[in-house]
Amino acid sequence: MIETHLTLNGRKITTLVPDSTLLVELLREHQHLTGTHVGCDTTQCGACTVHVDGKIMKSCTVLAAQVVGSDITTIEGLSPEGQLHPVQEAFRECHALQCGFCTPGMIMTISHFLKDKPKVLSDEVINRALEGHICRCTGYVNIIKAFKVAALKMYPDLLISNGA
Amino acid sequence: MIGQPIPRLEDERLITGQGQYTDDIKIEAQVHAYFVRSEHAHARIIAIDTFEASASPGVLAVLTGDDYLAQGYQGIQHVPNPADAVDSSKPSFSIQKNPHYFVNLHLPLASGAVRHVGEAVVMVIADTVVHAKNAAELVRIDYETLTAVVKADDALENTAAQLWEKVPHNLCHQETFGDDALVDQALARADVVIERRFVNSRIVNAQMEPRAAIGLYDPDKKCWTLISGSQGVNKQKQCLLDALKLKDEQIRVICPDVGGGFGPRTMLYPEQLAVVWGAMVVKRAVKWRGERSEGFVSDYQGRDQIITSKMGFDRQGKIVAVKNHWIANLGAHAVSFVPPSNGMRIMTTVYDIPLASVLVQLVYTNTVPTGPYRGAGRPESHHVMERMLDIAADELKLDRLHIREVNLIQHHQLPYRSPMGLSYDSGSFASNMRQAVEMAHWADFPERQKVSLASGKLRGIGLANYVEAPVGAPIERIRLTVNRDGQLEFITGTQSQGQGHETTFRQVLSHFLGFPLGDILFQSGDTDFVTKGGGTHSDRSLRIVSSLIKTASEALIAQGKAIFASLNQVPVEDVAWSAFHFSSPQPSTPMGLGEMAKLVHSSAFDAQTIKGELGPNTPWLQVTSDFKGRIPAHPTGCAVCELEIDPSTGEVDLLNYTSLDDVGQVINPLIVDGQLHGGLAQGIGQALSEGYYFDAQSAQVLSGSFMDYGMPRAGSIPPLRIAFTEDPTKLNPLRVKGGGESGITPATACIFNALAHAMSSNAREEIPMPATASVLWHYLQALKEPHVQR
Repeated sequence: MIETHLTLNGRKITTLVPDSTLLVELLREHQHLTGTHVGCDTTQCGACTVHVDGKIMKSCTVLAAQVVGSDITTIEGLSPEGQLHPVQEAFRECHALQCGFCTPGMIMTISHFLKDKPKVLSDEVINRALEGHICRCTGYVNIIKAFKVAALKMYPDLLISNGA
Repeated sequence: MIGQPIPRLEDERLITGQGQYTDDIKIEAQVHAYFVRSEHAHARIIAIDTFEASASPGVLAVLTGDDYLAQGYQGIQHVPNPADAVDSSKPSFSIQKNPHYFVNLHLPLASGAVRHVGEAVVMVIADTVVHAKNAAELVRIDYETLTAVVKADDALENTAAQLWEKVPHNLCHQETFGDDALVDQALARADVVIERRFVNSRIVNAQMEPRAAIGLYDPDKKCWTLISGSQGVNKQKQCLLDALKLKDEQIRVICPDVGGGFGPRTMLYPEQLAVVWGAMVVKRAVKWRGERSEGFVSDYQGRDQIITSKMGFDRQGKIVAVKNHWIANLGAHAVSFVPPSNGMRIMTTVYDIPLASVLVQLVYTNTVPTGPYRGAGRPESHHVMERMLDIAADELKLDRLHIREVNLIQHHQLPYRSPMGLSYDSGSFASNMRQAVEMAHWADFPERQKVSLASGKLRGIGLANYVEAPVGAPIERIRLTVNRDGQLEFITGTQSQGQGHETTFRQVLSHFLGFPLGDILFQSGDTDFVTKGGGTHSDRSLRIVSSLIKTASEALIAQGKAIFASLNQVPVEDVAWSAFHFSSPQPSTPMGLGEMAKLVHSSAFDAQTIKGELGPNTPWLQVTSDFKGRIPAHPTGCAVCELEIDPSTGEVDLLNYTSLDDVGQVINPLIVDGQLHGGLAQGIGQALSEGYYFDAQSAQVLSGSFMDYGMPRAGSIPPLRIAFTEDPTKLNPLRVKGGGESGITPATACIFNALAHAMSSNAREEIPMPATASVLWHYLQALKEPHVQR
């Protein structure tokens, strides 16, 4: 067993978990934060993406022991209670989700990408940013659209090539 | 409300991580199941040793198929033979006339033999997932491996491995539809006969939510509950009742949020049955969450149909007859005959073909069972039809648009009855094609082709017309109740897996009854209150439910009129319903349904006030509406794809894609666009990247993860030109046709037409599907070899 100290969604927690516990298991099973999803177990689909110390990580391939002392944000903590992050707003406005299973991971990656104002935003840049994510429902069309809409919400003067 | 792009009401919970999928649900004192699966495609089970596994830490039970049978239960009766598309009172295939027809009941755990890689053999139940997995490694299964067969045409050979003792040549059933003799005569007289074999590749469903299931058992009430994502709770309940030999009230099925459906989740899965049984054995809640690698070898798969088509033409390009031979790969168990059933009915698509026949063969192989996958037989049929037209156009030296124009069903021919018995009531097939071709700048293609050639690229453009014939379960129920808070409660037997029912159905309810969207309570997916219903598949939900909503709304308004008449002591004939309020010419205060419900359900209200038929004992302001049969609808349209192939690598660049669709009246354009995009992505995936491969010798699966299986990624969809059109149907009140399969139905057909056009390869063998870069590079090398004319 390992004692894990973390800052999780702004809250300091300490939890005792078996050594082999994955970060996603800590989140889902021990902290009951089930918004982070497991879609593949092998780091290919991106549904389990969270922020760890300001970086994006696929939580199905990180041991809880590796992130002791880290500051972790999940989909549940992305925006203050009762408010939506601009990426969440854009997802709803643009119908960027259907079944919603891949959505939390997508939103975590896009919100991380847009944390700082991007120099350029084009379809190529967006496709590369979403390389580690799989969606079966949307064909990505409206996810790409939501990416651009969110970027403009956050940075109204941002230039986007190939249209928004 | 109708036609408004209202952002979905279900989204708030899904974008904030508050969605509740099966694996998000935790039952007190739950334990965990893990399945030991077959590593062989075909083997006899000699012995299973569970001794060591049973003694492993945390283990509650180690169960086998023989244990299940010993307790007197039986396998799943899938009822694979669907209701006929035309006469839903009879089955699609006449299996009763076939003395050799055999379908094995699908056991939750294999007994005696394993018949595909990934088939569940042993279920380990332990206190934690880790303990269950550790114990699973200690289970010893002694197999005697047998030769295996994975391709349906190989399985029909005399020398092929035989899966089921009672099924020689693995032929579960065969049947000819249409007048074969007349078709043969017409083909013999035709000026030109084209014959071509098409292998429509196997697809992994790959919904993003790995399958999961929780079984619960209440020993006092002797009641079982299954909590599991699916496409409809009622069918799942029926299958559980049959397998466990229970009475109706003993099983409850609950479906929480579902992470994608696409067809295969309509049927019950062995693991869903296993956890329910397991809960009874260990007297605890038993939970299973499948891993992705399990999904790749156990989620029911799509397509895998081999279709040989023979088509006769006259010199002008008019089709005189078509004869198809359709070999459907059922996999190891007969789960569903829906794809060949749909495909056979729609085989002449939008063309006026006087004679058609098809021999359908349903064949067992050592592969994961197949079932309906988005489009289910319709994309396969359209692929054949549209490829055959391009091949014939080349052979007859006719323009590709021209050969379609001379064969398209003209608007004045409507209602048109196809040789396979479908009746098209609406659809402007010819003008749809003209519009799509214009949107795609078809006429200027040669100039663009020159530019590509100059840079060493092969450029092609392809087109496919399509029409659908949505079928599905011929039964449905809804219930409307205006409750004491003045809200409208709505229960539906259909069920969303991402299609946005919570929004669209509310829009329809608001349209008929005037309730604000926020005052409509939506309920589905629980057999405790969903007493009947077919679930969601085959473009059926909105068409059937909107028709039922209209009927139920009228009945609700009639009740309201009777109540209003009693309350105001006016004749019921005088009561009017307009602007969502009841009123009468006599002095009375206009009243809406919500206000009325609050009044009549308040404790101060004297029930005796209500006179007439309704009486004090009828549930007021509540209506249940049932539907049985078919509401035909024929979504239709045309797709055009333009692409470039790099001959040095075989890589395809989809340059643009045009889609002109008649989905009927659009209720929510945001959702219809989304459905089109998603279906199109799945079509592009099948055409270009999604290959499910087997080792030819061992029949081992070679594409068992997202690393090996080419899922479409961001950027897979090219720039789109989308437009909607409508030739209204009169067969349902909101003129709904269906939008769920519009993207996928013509997709592989128009992409393959574009590929063959780019490589000028119509006279050669078909390009293998999926046309990955490697496939195309090899195909291009073979094209350089001299071609022997057939």
